[in-house]
Amino acid sequence: MKKFINDPKQFVPEMLEGIALANPDTLRYVPAYNLIHRADAPNHNKVTIIQGSGSGHEPAHVMTVGKGMLDGACPGDVFAAPPLDFITETVKLLASDKGVLLLVNNYTGDRMAFEMAEEVAEADGVNVKTLFIDDDVAVKDSTYTVGRRGVAGNFFVMKAVGAAAENGADLDELVRIGEKVNSVTRTMGIALTACTPPAKGEPLFELGDDEIEIGVGIHGEPGRRREKWMPANDIADVLLDAIVPDLPFSSGDRVAVMVNGLGGTPISELYLLYGVIHKKLEALGISVGRNYVGEYCTSLDMAGASLTLVKLDDEIESLLAAPAEIAIRVF
Amino acid sequence: MTDDLALTEFVVRTIAEESVAQEKYFGELDAVVGDGDFGYSLARGFEFVLADFDSIDRIDAGTFLSKVAVMITSHIGGTSGPLWGTAFLRAGSSLKGNENISGPDVVAALRAAVEGIKKRGKAELGDKTLLDALVPSIDALETSLAAGDDAATAAETFAATARSAAEATSTLEARRGRASYTGERSIGSVDAGAMGIAVLAEKIAATWPTG
Repeated sequence: MKKFINDPKQFVPEMLEGIALANPDTLRYVPAYNLIHRADAPNHNKVTIIQGSGSGHEPAHVMTVGKGMLDGACPGDVFAAPPLDFITETVKLLASDKGVLLLVNNYTGDRMAFEMAEEVAEADGVNVKTLFIDDDVAVKDSTYTVGRRGVAGNFFVMKAVGAAAENGADLDELVRIGEKVNSVTRTMGIALTACTPPAKGEPLFELGDDEIEIGVGIHGEPGRRREKWMPANDIADVLLDAIVPDLPFSSGDRVAVMVNGLGGTPISELYLLYGVIHKKLEALGISVGRNYVGEYCTSLDMAGASLTLVKLDDEIESLLAAPAEIAIRVF
Repeated sequence: MTDDLALTEFVVRTIAEESVAQEKYFGELDAVVGDGDFGYSLARGFEFVLADFDSIDRIDAGTFLSKVAVMITSHIGGTSGPLWGTAFLRAGSSLKGNENISGPDVVAALRAAVEGIKKRGKAELGDKTLLDALVPSIDALETSLAAGDDAATAAETFAATARSAAEATSTLEARRGRASYTGERSIGSVDAGAMGIAVLAEKIAATWPTG
């Protein structure tokens, strides 16, 4: 393993310190709780929006703190939900008079930690609600699992409620918007390589040079099945065949498209994939209203990509189009 | 200090030390179908417990366990913090104020822990979780104690059952936790949490204080 690293145990704190040092005007770092928050939070004119989840998904979620997005993010260690203390202290520190919205990807550990945190915060008198995001079509929802995973589609929920919160929407309205966006968002991921967590020092699973994993999440866990490598045209079909019938997306629909890199794929390949998918969507009669190509929710250094489609209506499209100021995107 | 409290401290310290010692192995177990954070999360959390071990309130065994539960929940991330914290909390509540802990009291405390894990993790027996090692082991412990075995023998029985039950989880399909996302591909490997229970129980049995 070759990484820019000192001590695996210090990987997350040193990353967070770097983010804070790079953005001294807009962000603050509270080392005790892994917390990165807006310098102007809490703002009592808007609902506070907080995201947790593990580390290793950067820019999600510690780098999507900013105006029109998150007020704060408190990650756990790499791929591990944050401990209860991190969340409850973050909520207490950032709670605004208009309340707190917690955005959580639907993974077992995150779900348990945030459900407990919500109970603790409510007992402390904070007006708090939690929204679970579950956009991943690779996982079948059934009575036997906690449901689908939340993956890159989280970005669209965060963006929409972030914009609405800046406009002064109250907590109930944000929950309505968030649930609506989540309900029309679908994602599917493919890995070309496994990723290497700093604490483990070796790849999480073995993948042959000619093999790909289909239906991966964002924690380096293996996918639903393994197949031989195939050209980008065919990979696009695999992704679209999983996503399009699921909602379903139909001819005449207008969508937002995200081709999200998982951390180890060049931007050139992501744009190649986007071009292929764009044309295939048009052939299906589905028009692209907004597009997002790049890294939004990664899985450390995993080579691979996920495709997310969001069915647009006027409300969602205008919220997605509203400007947001994330530190890393201001030039 | 009562013998009950001393034994409770012994069990907690052993779990904590062994979790730190087995960090790499537990991580490897989890990486088969999960994301490998089990060993890391548990080790980092129990390091906190060990660091403050001597200052934990130990007015009685139940209080001691409850205080440990808060430390676990506060410092362990991932799925382990909520689950193990809930388990210690329920066991502590079950024993709180009890000055003379009997065998049936221990069984009752462990069953309370199981109920807490089921509720927090929304899991049942057969879902391929640590419950699949814990529940049969508690049953075996109860039978052993009822037959008049001493504590050391009962601990050995618990550990032996945990080992065989943990190994048997390899035939199950995961329906809870991150391993559940791999569906049928989870069959063929043991559950990391269940094997963790077996390894910790074996250490407790092997080092049980005698005399």
